[in-house]
Amino acid sequence: MAAAPQSGGSTAWSVMIFATVIMFAASLYAIFVVAPVEQQMGIVQKIFYFHVPSAYAMYIGFVVSAIGSALYLIKRDPKWDALGVAGAEVGSLFCLIVLLTGPLWARKAWGVWWTWDPRLTTTLLAGMIFAAYLALRSMGSAGEVEKRFAAGLALFGLIDLPLIHYSVQRWRGVHPTVITGKGGGLESEMYWALGMSFIAFTGLAVLLIWTRASIERQREEATRLRFELVHR
Amino acid sequence: MRASIAGLVLACTMLTSTAAFAEEPSAAPDAAASDVQKDAAEERAASFRGVRGPEAESVPGGALMLAAYAVVWVLLFLFLMRMRRLQRHTAEELERLSADIRSSESR
Repeated sequence: MAAAPQSGGSTAWSVMIFATVIMFAASLYAIFVVAPVEQQMGIVQKIFYFHVPSAYAMYIGFVVSAIGSALYLIKRDPKWDALGVAGAEVGSLFCLIVLLTGPLWARKAWGVWWTWDPRLTTTLLAGMIFAAYLALRSMGSAGEVEKRFAAGLALFGLIDLPLIHYSVQRWRGVHPTVITGKGGGLESEMYWALGMSFIAFTGLAVLLIWTRASIERQREEATRLRFELVHR
Repeated sequence: MRASIAGLVLACTMLTSTAAFAEEPSAAPDAAASDVQKDAAEERAASFRGVRGPEAESVPGGALMLAAYAVVWVLLFLFLMRMRRLQRHTAEELERLSADIRSSESR
């Protein structure tokens, strides 16, 4: 993993990487060895154990991006902007994973790759908002105006996140709700597999955001030095 | 010229007349022949019925599951590679800029 923190933080960093790797190995064991094959859908249901935690990691990324953006708009400190960029990138990565693994499950379960279900549509919308954020930030070296506009876009994207979460409860759709407490449910082995996968994906999302934010701060430093060199 | 056009028309007529006569239905078809034709048609009879939902097609669940897990690992790997490249490039640029600043200060 790139850009490890210096000195004291490096131990915590190594422990975090080790714990995440162990959790991924344990979750894969739980998914493919311990958890039973689902009665109706068969083996394709095992996509669920990576699909749902990926959606959760997507929430983490986008929320971190929105918090970083809000703090950047208030304090104008580049470190918050770096956090905003890191959250948006990592959130978009997991959003892409969700949008690609979901159709692979849907093809078997619903007979179609894609349907304009409220949850699917709002997830796609969130992905598009943060893709616009990243497109704006990737256009050369972003100036102050671009940074502020992108921060506003991240805050706009934050509005969509509760819509994704509550869309299955408020609007009619086909997306299943397994862990809401209102019907459905999982067997205990399935809960274990899902729980471990949640921990592994949370660790991975934190590590990726941390690393990406650290690189972005270095890039900011490079931009500052370049400016200093030109204006000497 | 006229002779060649007349020849062409005659040739076309002769070519198409065989097919035209062959397709012409007989005035009094034989009953046995009709039964044979009917059986052959019945043998090949097929009906298309539309179905909705997951029963529309037998989809290999194992292949879809493998594809989903492959997507996850490939995307994570690509993201890590991108971060590594970005960090290396940034570190090199920082080193170069610091050297430039030091050299401009010493001048």
